[in-house]
Amino acid sequence: MSKIPVDFYFSYRSPYSYLAAPRAFALPGRYDIDLRFHGVMPMAMRGQAVPQAKRLHTVRDTAREAARLGMPFGPVWDPLGDGAKRCLAIGVLAGDRGKVREWVLAVSKGIWAEAANVCDDEVLRGICERVGLNWSEAQAAISDPEIERRVLADTESLVALGQWGVPVFVFSGEPYWGQDRIEDLERSLNDAGLRLPT
Amino acid sequence: MSAAAEKFKKSTVPGLILALAKVRAPAKAAAALRRLTGRRGLIEVFVAFDDPSSALAIVELDRRLARRKVDLVVRPVLNRDLAGDPAIEAKRAYAVTDTQRLARRYDLALARTEPLPGNELAFLGEWVAACQPADGTRFAIAAANRIWFQPEASIDRAAMAELFTQTVGGPPPGSGSEAVRANEKIAKRKLVYTVPMASVHGRLFFAHERLDQIGEELDLLGWKAR
Repeated sequence: MSKIPVDFYFSYRSPYSYLAAPRAFALPGRYDIDLRFHGVMPMAMRGQAVPQAKRLHTVRDTAREAARLGMPFGPVWDPLGDGAKRCLAIGVLAGDRGKVREWVLAVSKGIWAEAANVCDDEVLRGICERVGLNWSEAQAAISDPEIERRVLADTESLVALGQWGVPVFVFSGEPYWGQDRIEDLERSLNDAGLRLPT
Repeated sequence: MSAAAEKFKKSTVPGLILALAKVRAPAKAAAALRRLTGRRGLIEVFVAFDDPSSALAIVELDRRLARRKVDLVVRPVLNRDLAGDPAIEAKRAYAVTDTQRLARRYDLALARTEPLPGNELAFLGEWVAACQPADGTRFAIAAANRIWFQPEASIDRAAMAELFTQTVGGPPPGSGSEAVRANEKIAKRKLVYTVPMASVHGRLFFAHERLDQIGEELDLLGWKAR
């Protein structure tokens, strides 16, 4: 019997997505679920203006949340634009190669805790090779229209759900928005009897 | 954009924001001076009465501050959405589900399953904004409880006016639209861009989901729970 899906919508430009990723990828180790990763275009690249006050607060709030979670935060390099597009394309490739967890954890840590400029080929190549992705394949993915179509489809599926921000989890048709809502998702997974025996 | 300009925008600026956020000595000194002069701590929370997250924030902050020498001031605003946000309606519907989940964490139960139209409750924001802060806040707590946590309770204008009289001891004030606009100016100056947000001596927090962090901030500033 196939496992119950939990969809995980993620943006490389979202520091909250970075905070969510380690706990998200740990879920299938504790619950009998199929975690399905969807990289989506940043809100600012989907036509939604983000005011300065929101950007400022997001950096400060993420820093406090990262400290609470024991995760490094800063120095950062905002990947908005080509950086996000390159990461999204390689994320699709990583999914096809069974390395999406390793890729997402490595590149998001790079962006949000090591100021990795993912527009720089050498920087991106280093991250790809560290997680076992072939750099030539990664370069091809960046300019592959079929991969771009898959990224857009993932982004549109988030919008179709009536959702806007990230990270978002969807379980049994119910969305859970925010890195700080994983405990609510887990409560629902527990209620559904999906907890794996320890 | 030159490489230097790009680095400045994408890395240096966020780095400066992070570095400045770590500077706490002036805030701690200001808090200590405030206590020395006999003044209590202050949390201003920016809210909307049709927003269940705001109600949760008001009710739970009131409960948590009871053990601290800190005053809560509720500042209702009317305009609280991002300009041009295409997801306003979806966000309002989701806020009900999300607040139901959050409320369970605090042993509370939300009484509603559907969003409320904001314009029907705008008068409450005006009443609160037009009052003295202590009176307005006392009524805001009672109103938030009534609207979002008491099933079957009537929330029409007459019932809320009666609640106002019971809570504050007089009739509701007249038009408070100017006072609401004044709150919105304060919110803008403090870089509040949504509701509910709490300003704790200049530092902003999402008021419904960062309650523990607000407590930690008060501890750091010296307003510890008794």
